[in-house]
Amino acid sequence: MRHDIVLSSRVRLARNYEDVPFDVSQRPEFAAICVARTVGALKAAGQDKGFQLYRLREMPAASRQAMAESRLISRDLLNNAESAAAMVRAEDAMTVMIGEDDHLRIQAIRPELDLLSAATACFRIDDALSRQVSFAFDEQLGYLTACPTNTGTGMRASLLMHLPLLTKGKQMGNVGQLVSKVGLNIRGVYGEGADALGNIYQISNQVTLGRTEQELIATVTALGNQLCDMESALRDKARNEGRIPLEDMILRSWGILTHARLMPLNEFYQHWSNLRLGAAMGLLKTPLALVDALLDRVQEAHLCVWAEESLSGQAMDEARAACIRELLAMS
Amino acid sequence: MSEHENAPVLCEECGVNEACYTISVMMNGQVTQRRLCADCMAKMNMNLAAGNVKHLLSAIMSAITGGVEAAAAAAVAPEDDVVCERCGTTLSQFTKSGKLGCPTCYTAFREQLTPMLQQIHGRTQHAGRKPLDTEAAQRRRAAWERLSRQLEQAVAVEDFESAAQLRDQLRRLQTEGGED
Repeated sequence: MRHDIVLSSRVRLARNYEDVPFDVSQRPEFAAICVARTVGALKAAGQDKGFQLYRLREMPAASRQAMAESRLISRDLLNNAESAAAMVRAEDAMTVMIGEDDHLRIQAIRPELDLLSAATACFRIDDALSRQVSFAFDEQLGYLTACPTNTGTGMRASLLMHLPLLTKGKQMGNVGQLVSKVGLNIRGVYGEGADALGNIYQISNQVTLGRTEQELIATVTALGNQLCDMESALRDKARNEGRIPLEDMILRSWGILTHARLMPLNEFYQHWSNLRLGAAMGLLKTPLALVDALLDRVQEAHLCVWAEESLSGQAMDEARAACIRELLAMS
Repeated sequence: MSEHENAPVLCEECGVNEACYTISVMMNGQVTQRRLCADCMAKMNMNLAAGNVKHLLSAIMSAITGGVEAAAAAAVAPEDDVVCERCGTTLSQFTKSGKLGCPTCYTAFREQLTPMLQQIHGRTQHAGRKPLDTEAAQRRRAAWERLSRQLEQAVAVEDFESAAQLRDQLRRLQTEGGED
């Protein structure tokens, strides 16, 4: 659904064991309890099939960073690499992070706009675990989390959206107002601070307490659909009124991505955005799934794994250009 | 945020995120403004919510002039600090870091946390999912029901010896994990 604009949907639930302090990053004995208990509970519930346990400290740095680049684990989990672990079911991008800000972060990622399916996958794991172990829960405040911004449902539902024409048309100010009016949050995904490299934005629920999970999902989905409509209208307009400049912009980026010998990451995002716009509008034959896969594949750790060596500086830009050429040649 | 601004205004506290809140305070007839991002605004809200009335003003002033960290320090005076008996986290540590130490902190700091949660979420009553009973809890409840029925029957037939034994078993069950 709406794959032309929504890259993926993600839901994550924060859960904590009631008898363990929240921050286990500096306390290996508690971190070990969380890992053993979670693995044991998933197994006892018969839900461990397909999951693989990764203890971050035992992984090569590039491999665990690559997992973060693919969003299978969070940057915060990476920061706790000494004590943290993750149960990952790669086939459907399902992760149970252990030892992040909260003891557990149950996370599911689905392609396109499909928060309901991501939430259902999380709830299945949550229910299976809660039959085996006791989570910190209060009748009034709901699930108790390390940070009060997650208290209640402990749920964050987010959409990754590609909004190039809203950005180009300087509409993101209006979008920001629209988003905060319904109590949601928007931010750029790549780049520092207010950058939104590649015109990729994440919208997510800000509040977690006092609403049901269904209400939160419905709010994020409704706003996602609204932004899709706004972006789609601009795409239709561009197709009808400015086709040649639009095609020129897209094909120039195609030319650069398929021929460049050095590709810095910042420049990549700019061309990637045009490439995805072209593929989404049917102006390029490149499949959207391949375009989206590029986003992970050009990141530093992915390139080091791909090139089977540690890269930096120009060698990194060279490997990135080569990787892009190789992938796009397949389309 | 405005349509005309291409360059984003960065948060004056963290200098990383885009500022989306402006707080204004009138001081000596002059308006002082401070622009904050959502994260730092939430952090400041927590600091303010955690402080009692006598420290509230100084917390706001510190946030305006000296930053969120200073506001945190001003928000809780040493004599007002509260300690979570279970994990040792103090209220002032929490207001500085924004992180609670353990689930019991929610009880220890409830007085300060409730207005803070109201500020962050707009509500303070959970409406979402609940944990299912654990298998151990289900077993305990089944045992409780069975023993309670047996106790009723024993009392009905005036078998007080069995009744006393059953009552002891029920008490043990209760201390193990509550009757649920």
